[in-house]
Amino acid sequence: METVNQTTGKDVLLPDDTIEAFRAKAADTPHPRELIVDLLRAIQDHHGWVPDAGIELAAQTLGLSPLQLEEIATFYDKIYRQPVGRKVIHLCDSICCWTTGGEQVAELLRDKLGIGFGETTPDGVFTLLPTCCLGACGDAPAMMIGLTTYGRLTAEKIDTILREIRQQID
Amino acid sequence: MVNLTIDGKQVTVSKTATIYEAAKEAGVDIPVLCYAKKLLPFGACRVCLVEVEQMKGRLIPACTTPATEGMVVTTNSDEIAKVRKTVMEFLLVNHVLDCPVCDKGGECDLQDLTYDFEVNSNRFEGVKFDLPTDEVNPLIERNMNRCVLCGRCVRVCDEIVAYGSYSFINRGFETKIATAFDRGLSCEFCGQCLSMCPVGALLPRPFKFKARPWQLKEVDSVCGYCGNGCTVTLGCKDNQVQTIRFNDKIGVNDGNLCVRGRFGYSYVNRDDRLTTPLVRKDGQLVEASWDEALDAVSSALKDGKAGILSGARLTNEELFLLKNVAKTASASLDHSGGECYKGVTEGLQETLGLASSTGTFPQVEDADVILSIRSDFYETHPVFGMVVNQAVKRNGAKFLVLSDKTGKFNKLPDAQTLLTKPGLEVNVLNAICAALLESGQAKTDGVSGVDEFKSALADYAPAKVSAQTGVPVEAITAAAEQLAGAKKGAILLAYGLPYTAQSKELAIAAANLAILSGLAAQDEAGLYICGEKANSQGAIDLGILPGDGLGAQEQLAAAAKGDLDLLYVIGEDPMTSYPDGAKVEAAINGAKMVVVQDLFLTPTAEQADVVLPAASFAEKDGTFTNAERRIQRVRPGITSPGEAKSDFEIFTSLLGRLGAQVSYTGPQAVFAALAAENGEYAGIDFDAIGPQGVVWGGDKLAPKQQVLVSVSGLQPVEARFQLVTGSALYHSGTTSTRAKGPRAVIDEAYVELGREDAAELGVATDDQVTVKANGNTVKLKAKVDNRLPKGVVFVPNHFAGTGLNKIYQGAASVAVEVTKG
Ligand code: SF4
Ligand code: SF4
Ligand code: SF4
Ligand code: FES
Ligand code: FES
Repeated sequence: METVNQTTGKDVLLPDDTIEAFRAKAADTPHPRELIVDLLRAIQDHHGWVPDAGIELAAQTLGLSPLQLEEIATFYDKIYRQPVGRKVIHLCDSICCWTTGGEQVAELLRDKLGIGFGETTPDGVFTLLPTCCLGACGDAPAMMIGLTTYGRLTAEKIDTILREIRQQID
Repeated sequence: MVNLTIDGKQVTVSKTATIYEAAKEAGVDIPVLCYAKKLLPFGACRVCLVEVEQMKGRLIPACTTPATEGMVVTTNSDEIAKVRKTVMEFLLVNHVLDCPVCDKGGECDLQDLTYDFEVNSNRFEGVKFDLPTDEVNPLIERNMNRCVLCGRCVRVCDEIVAYGSYSFINRGFETKIATAFDRGLSCEFCGQCLSMCPVGALLPRPFKFKARPWQLKEVDSVCGYCGNGCTVTLGCKDNQVQTIRFNDKIGVNDGNLCVRGRFGYSYVNRDDRLTTPLVRKDGQLVEASWDEALDAVSSALKDGKAGILSGARLTNEELFLLKNVAKTASASLDHSGGECYKGVTEGLQETLGLASSTGTFPQVEDADVILSIRSDFYETHPVFGMVVNQAVKRNGAKFLVLSDKTGKFNKLPDAQTLLTKPGLEVNVLNAICAALLESGQAKTDGVSGVDEFKSALADYAPAKVSAQTGVPVEAITAAAEQLAGAKKGAILLAYGLPYTAQSKELAIAAANLAILSGLAAQDEAGLYICGEKANSQGAIDLGILPGDGLGAQEQLAAAAKGDLDLLYVIGEDPMTSYPDGAKVEAAINGAKMVVVQDLFLTPTAEQADVVLPAASFAEKDGTFTNAERRIQRVRPGITSPGEAKSDFEIFTSLLGRLGAQVSYTGPQAVFAALAAENGEYAGIDFDAIGPQGVVWGGDKLAPKQQVLVSVSGLQPVEARFQLVTGSALYHSGTTSTRAKGPRAVIDEAYVELGREDAAELGVATDDQVTVKANGNTVKLKAKVDNRLPKGVVFVPNHFAGTGLNKIYQGAASVAVEVTKG
């Protein structure tokens, strides 16, 4: 995956053919705003997070104003407008999870990772963020990493999850 | 229609009405915060909750819920009061209590509602917002700590202004209104957002800490700048206009204004206004008495050959008196450079038998097809432009822009831009006519001159014109098809001093198109001809035209030859604003006597022999007629400084000195006299001109005839660079260059270049650029952006001393050399 252009030395936010594909799709839909989340996620998958230049690129690709992208990018907390670790843990911070030990889970995660909410581990692997209800209330307490939701969290389960992810990354 | 009951009252309203609107109709007041009459329903604040018997179990927002048949609505109960009060408590959790230092105090909806609901304490506690204020721009202060997130600013800037400066960012407690990347506001500064803000989150900076609202005297008048004729309510104190107040109750602009109308008032308060007459003695302009000055002017008028050049910002009554002055003194009379309006009116007379717009502005709001000739239309008439925005964005009108540059208009959703090389608009209009005739879509019933017209169009076949102008053939034929299919179409054309080229041809070509597409004969809308200045239409209606005398350009020529004893210039600075400044200079040097009547010692006034200090629009009583023929009342909010007099008084004194028999008691009497002389104004009573004004000729003026007239376009200018001039959004004529607001945004002339040209010349914004043509040079700072195609540069025509009118002599575009430095 090329993230830096060899000739310009600039960050590559998204490969040209992907941009072109989005441009074509946008031209084809009556409401290009529908594509905002997909495009921002694509940039994020490629680049790790979405810098201002990513918002501008997305706006230009979809024929929208940067602000029309920004309102969604900042509302939707799975889009990262700041650099994050390679994996972001979204720990649910809503009512069902609170009543099933969510606060203890938070404590555990902070301990194990050695970081607080909003921080990234020194090795750059994990960022820990609180999030509102993941819609996994039946499996509370829950957290989400990437596109995977993990429920009924216990200390052992968390250990396994973190270990497995670290292994995958290495 | 639907019938419903609100608080026991029966009411019948249209199907599209909301509960809130129905209640209003029934005379029941429901409190609102995020609702605004001119914006689409939003439902953000929940202050307007009501009970609906058919929707028991929850409270219903009145502002977003449609009224339906048989609904039974209760707008006030203990339950409702409790919930509304709670909503207020929520809002006040984070809201800073700044009232003592907030300019909104006294007219803040949050303050009023807090008082109404007796919110004396708060059951909830939370952190107060602590965000920095956005003061990066000079005109609008944004203090988001006071924001209640009603979204009115966001919506007005999107729905009406079509600029899109704001949106909500973040979520939950952190939600706030932000500009792009939260970098602060930089926009067209129309101030619609601040007029919509219910609280003190958006405030006009020039008015900061100037007065409390109840200290202001409010006077409803008409904006003195452009032909849009927006209502402005002057907020006056200490004999100064302190601010322009929001007023969506009267006039034709729905409370919308542009940067000039909202922030451009301050020139009337300037210290350097002329306060006494000046007379040249031993080469110097020195203060003189009115008697001395007026005696000098009247004897020159009486004894010699005189030419009078007026501006188009005088009231109708003043123009009428001026006409009498000219008649009594047998002087020649013309206005606004002559050429700019003359061609347009002559062209319209030949084709449609009229000299004005056919419809009103509000009729364009639900037009289905709109063609704007020049994208500059938004710059010359911004608030009419906002009507177009709404037609396109809200009501889905098809929008065609025929223009030599892109701009605001071209960015509207699905706008079709017919981008032509400069000066070739007539060619393209002819080609659209040709396409209409060719495809059999042209409407020719009751139209004369069809055959001659057809044969004259041989040179304007779409393919030919396309090759010449760069507008694709398909765009031409598509435009023809859309216009032919219009049920309620509108064609917009502005005129003014920077747009004098081909004005007759343009008017005819636009009228031809209006005829062939059936627009001219429609019941509403049709062709809009919009003058540059506040009373341009009035000047035409009142016949401030040469008649048998000399037109403006002939007067200048005569003066230059020494054939004019007096050149009398009123409310205009020809040295700056007329095309061909050298000709003006020669005239001023050649005339035996030059008199200038103005607010300031303009470059023209500096050369005069007599200078008469005049009154601004804010000091006048009378009427203006706007570009849709609406006659509206202008009212004085302040008195003139020093000994300055209104043009009305000056002309009255001159008439007396010239021995005229009649004298008038005031504007009413003059209006009665002018109405008696002018068929269109007949029967209109000055005192009966109400809050919406009176549209002479009725909302739709039917053409008196439909005659096609063939006109020729131009050949493209072949040069690496060509210069076009025109209006910048932030200014109008030369007057606004003395107003702080517009100046705060743009305070000097510039050369605008497209990115490609700029890159080739190695020029960046603010670098100096030299523009050369016919031996003359203009040196200005560069402004680089995306509006201009390759090879075209633009210089706005508002600023004195640039030398622009040495290069611009009235042609549509001028071949120039452009170099860096
Ligand atoms: S001043 Fe006008 S353009 Fe600027 S943000 Fe406000 S409404 Fe939008
Ligand atoms: S700034 Fe004013 S208008 Fe905009 S959302 Fe806040 S309170 Fe409403
Ligand atoms: S300059 Fe024209 S558009 Fe702007 S507020 Fe005045 S009349 Fe309206
Ligand atoms: S509250 Fe945690 S998943 Fe719903
Ligand atoms: S006024 Fe109805 S929700 Fe705000």
